[in-house]
Amino acid sequence: MPYIKEERKETISVEGDWDIGGSTTWKDSTLLQGYAQGLKEKRIIGSLCPGCGKVIVPPRNICGRCHRKMDEKVVVSDIGTVTCFVISAPFAKGKMQVLGMDPVETGLVGEGERVISVYVKLDGADSNIDTELIGAKPEEVYVGMRVKAVWAKERQGKLSDLEAVEPLRD
Amino acid sequence: MRNVAIIGCGQTKHSARRRDVNLAEMVGDAVWNALEDAQVTPQEVDAFTVGNMQGFGGVAQPEQWLGDWIGAAGKPVLRVATGGSTGGCVAQAAFYAVASGLYDIAVATAWEKHSDSKEPGATTGLSHVALGNTINMINCGLSFKHLLSMTLVGAAAGVACYQAMYYMYRSGSRVEHLDMVAAKDRRNAAKNKYAHLQWPGCTPEDIAKTEWVAYPFRYGHICPASDGASAMVLACEDIARKRCKKPVWIKGLAAYSDEENQIMSEGAGGIGILDASQQIGATMSAIKAYRMAGIRDPQKEIDVAEIYQPFPNQELIFAERLGLFDEGTAWRALEKGETDINGRMPCDPSGGVNATNAIGSSALQRILECALQIMGKAEEHQVPKEVHNAVATGWGGATNYIAVTVLGDSPY
Amino acid sequence: MSSQSEIVLTKVPVPLVAGFQWSVGELMEKFIKALADRKIWGVKCPECGYVYVPPRWRCGKCYAKLGEENLTELSGKGILLSYATAYVELDGAGSFKDLSEPKPIGAIKLEGADSTLFMPLGEVKPEELKEGMKVEVVWREEPKGELADIKYFKPAKR
Repeated sequence: MPYIKEERKETISVEGDWDIGGSTTWKDSTLLQGYAQGLKEKRIIGSLCPGCGKVIVPPRNICGRCHRKMDEKVVVSDIGTVTCFVISAPFAKGKMQVLGMDPVETGLVGEGERVISVYVKLDGADSNIDTELIGAKPEEVYVGMRVKAVWAKERQGKLSDLEAVEPLRD
Repeated sequence: MRNVAIIGCGQTKHSARRRDVNLAEMVGDAVWNALEDAQVTPQEVDAFTVGNMQGFGGVAQPEQWLGDWIGAAGKPVLRVATGGSTGGCVAQAAFYAVASGLYDIAVATAWEKHSDSKEPGATTGLSHVALGNTINMINCGLSFKHLLSMTLVGAAAGVACYQAMYYMYRSGSRVEHLDMVAAKDRRNAAKNKYAHLQWPGCTPEDIAKTEWVAYPFRYGHICPASDGASAMVLACEDIARKRCKKPVWIKGLAAYSDEENQIMSEGAGGIGILDASQQIGATMSAIKAYRMAGIRDPQKEIDVAEIYQPFPNQELIFAERLGLFDEGTAWRALEKGETDINGRMPCDPSGGVNATNAIGSSALQRILECALQIMGKAEEHQVPKEVHNAVATGWGGATNYIAVTVLGDSPY
Repeated sequence: MSSQSEIVLTKVPVPLVAGFQWSVGELMEKFIKALADRKIWGVKCPECGYVYVPPRWRCGKCYAKLGEENLTELSGKGILLSYATAYVELDGAGSFKDLSEPKPIGAIKLEGADSTLFMPLGEVKPEELKEGMKVEVVWREEPKGELADIKYFKPAKR
């Protein structure tokens, strides 16, 4: 090993758990619920700032820049541009757990698959959404790539209705 | 407002597992080292500021346990927690305590003991940062696959991945430059006896051989989770001049929040209008702190920088935000060796956060390391030039909060 | 789409448990291991004479450095300074549940010690508890060198 290693005495440990689970009550976001409802109709909703004219997707109620209320909702395109991307290391069984589940074991990703996570600026929006890019190999993705939304077949008014984005091919 | 100086510094050895001590003993070690360095008795200290990343290490009110271990029994103790920038804010709080005239001598101490947490992700701590937003999204039918793609590498590393990609795209730099930063920091750390990841003679090629975490990051790019603590003694001008041969003056400071680039901000909303590499909070903090310090041209007047860089791209981004290099050129300076320990603008001669990350302590260590450079006490990692002014950063909150501190060998 | 003024409160089960393993340090480790031999170690400050149990390496009163050489053995007998009795406990789901038997907890000053231990009290009815009464340690049948070796304290026999 190239790193300098150092031996140190280990004293015994006292163990304990913090149960932060149980049932927790959260104030629900009507804004995000409204956004999710829009997805059912393949409408991606953002909010328009009357001060700076920026459109933020998903909507928010106060502009972070000019602190004006953003009551007006607008619909943006489901086509947009990749502004940034990150590619996961190949997934493998037993390598990682998310919410106590193994993504490979549950069949969500294949053994050795690399997931491409992208930030997309939808046409008509000024902010990015984060989603997954499918239908493209890791070496094919680039900043500026045009992509379009992939919709769930049966949409239920949930965030999962907007499944991912895929390269826009004409 | 009174002038305030750092008159003593103390640290513990940082490593992955400080199982030889408990939390109070570890923090006590750092404080006692600082008091000894400053030649100040605990009875002389008027007030304490303390902090670590909220929830990490599983001690809810650590200041209550620590009190009589750090000399704070019966004295005012203020706890500050701003995520990764905690240490910077703890030091700034101690500055306010003395500058205001309320207290003459204050001790600032910050720490983290990651190994006390069973999960590497320090579940409770991260819950403080992101749980509300995530639950909100799950309520609205977030798919597991989406959650998975959001958490490719998790936590701050996930944000930093995007940050690195944005920066590389904008500046024209490449993954090779991340290798170069990480290798430099591990080499520097090998000269710092308190540092964690010490790799003498580490080369960019060594880093490039490590496995991918998520493109563009390899294992070799990413900071460790360290156990350790650091502490400083701050004093007003009269006492500093009497007690210390070479007091280090806190000349300027500021801490700004850059709300616009938060991921999953209000209502799990967008990634914001600004990209993650813009870090306007750093620019705003730097402008304010330099103005207070009377620094007009940081490229000429700053001699060394200690930048909070758990991920190597951040050293480049923040160096530019601090005005040490022109926009988009820090990587060219890196190529020329200007950020090396013996370069024109040494960045993180201590190895920085990239080599040692006891989260709460990390931002305080940046200020402490600047102080050591100005005092000339950095031993093996002392930069081989005169140091008059130095700048330190901290990065934290929900990745949006920046604390900048400017230090100098004279208060003016 | 629900209206803006309407606030919906949702209960979400969050499967999150954070596990911890706090390292105890060298003097505390000595204390815990000695419990296996039914011994209670304290430490006496050489400067101010204050006796701490469990032991620690820095005096919290005068800040003198303490070490192994200052360890001192304490008897398992002491005085009850104060007490409280629990009739309910947390049920793990955000509420309380009744205990089948009340659980008294005492603040105990061991003979020769200056600091206070907080320990469960047993073999005693809550109404019999009195400040200043003498108590003594009850060990687990086969002590293993764990904190749980001290089962509880009970009123001392005259």
